[in-house]
Amino acid sequence: MVAIYHLALPQVYGYLLPRCGNAALAEDLTAETFVAAVGATRKGLVPNVNVAWLVGIARHKLVDYWRRAAREQRSLALVENDSEGVADPWEEWLDAEVAHAALSRLPPPQRAALTLRYLDGLPVADVASHLGRSLRATETLLARARAALRRIYVEEGGP
Amino acid sequence: MTPDALDALRLPIVPVVPRQEFAAALLRRIEERAGPVVRQTATVRYFVTDLDAAVAFYCRNLDFDEELRPSPVFAMLYRGDLRLLLSVPGGQGGAHTLPDGTVPEPGGWNRISLEVADLVATVDALRERRVRFRTDVVTGVAVRQILLEDPSGNLVELFEPRAGYHERPRG
Repeated sequence: MVAIYHLALPQVYGYLLPRCGNAALAEDLTAETFVAAVGATRKGLVPNVNVAWLVGIARHKLVDYWRRAAREQRSLALVENDSEGVADPWEEWLDAEVAHAALSRLPPPQRAALTLRYLDGLPVADVASHLGRSLRATETLLARARAALRRIYVEEGGP
Repeated sequence: MTPDALDALRLPIVPVVPRQEFAAALLRRIEERAGPVVRQTATVRYFVTDLDAAVAFYCRNLDFDEELRPSPVFAMLYRGDLRLLLSVPGGQGGAHTLPDGTVPEPGGWNRISLEVADLVATVDALRERRVRFRTDVVTGVAVRQILLEDPSGNLVELFEPRAGYHERPRG
C-alpha cells in the first residue's frame, strides 16, 4: 500500500474531488479509502493492490457518505421531491457543466444513483448493488433523479 | 426518455494532487497502520566455532551465497528465501554470553532442512568432498532424508520429496 501511495493518491483524490465537489470532504473520503485499504491488505484479503481497486473502495466510501447524509436529511424531516411519472424530456445535447452543478443540488440518494450510473458509467445492476437496492427500486430512483435533475438543470439555464 | 443524453455527464478520472500537508499526514497514518513490512525470508541462526570454515562449507557444498561478513564472528548467508546467520559464540548481539556465564554452542539435533532434487546424487557428491554424515539415507513420511554435519557439528537435513509430500502452496 505504501509502495503505490504516491501513484494512487492523485487518482483516488481526483476521482472523489469532482464527485463530492468539496475539498474537505474529498480529503476525508480519500483518507477513509486508504485506511480501509491498509486494513484489507493486512488481513491478506487482497490479491492485487492497484489503483482500480482503490478507486472501487473510494466509490464505496462516497456511497456510504451519501447514505449517511440521506439519513441526516431524513432526521431533519426534509421531504424528497417526488417526481415519479414526470416525463424525462432530455435533449440530445447537454451542457455537462451545468448538469454537474445541478447534480450537486439533488438529494443524496438521487445524486448517488446518477453519479454511479452516468459519471462512473456503471450498469444499472451495479448501481443497485452499490446502493443496496433492488434493480426495480434503482430504476425508479434513477427515473426520479433524472426528472429532478432536469428540473434544476432548466432552472439553472440549461437548454 | 433518452438516457444517452446523460452519458455526457461521464467523468473520467483526472488525477489531482491534494494538499501536501494532507498527503504527508495520510502517508504517516497508513504507514503506522501497515506496520512493519512482512518479509518472506525465513531466518535461522547457527553457532559455529570457525567462521571461515563454516562459510566455506555452506557456500561450497550447499549452494549458499555469502551476503555479509562484517566481523570475524558473524556472517549472513542466503539460499533462496532462507537466510542463515552464522555466529561465533561469545560475541555481541545474538551470540552473546548470558549473565550467568552460559555461552551458546553449536550442535544439538535441531536443524535446517534443505530440499534437493536428487538426494542420492547429492549425497554421493558430498561424500566425495568428505562431508560428514550422521545417518544414511532413510525413508520417512513423504520424503527421503539424510543428516549431515557442518564443521562445527551443526546438523543439516537434506530431503527429497516423495509421493504425498505437502507444502503450503505459494501465492
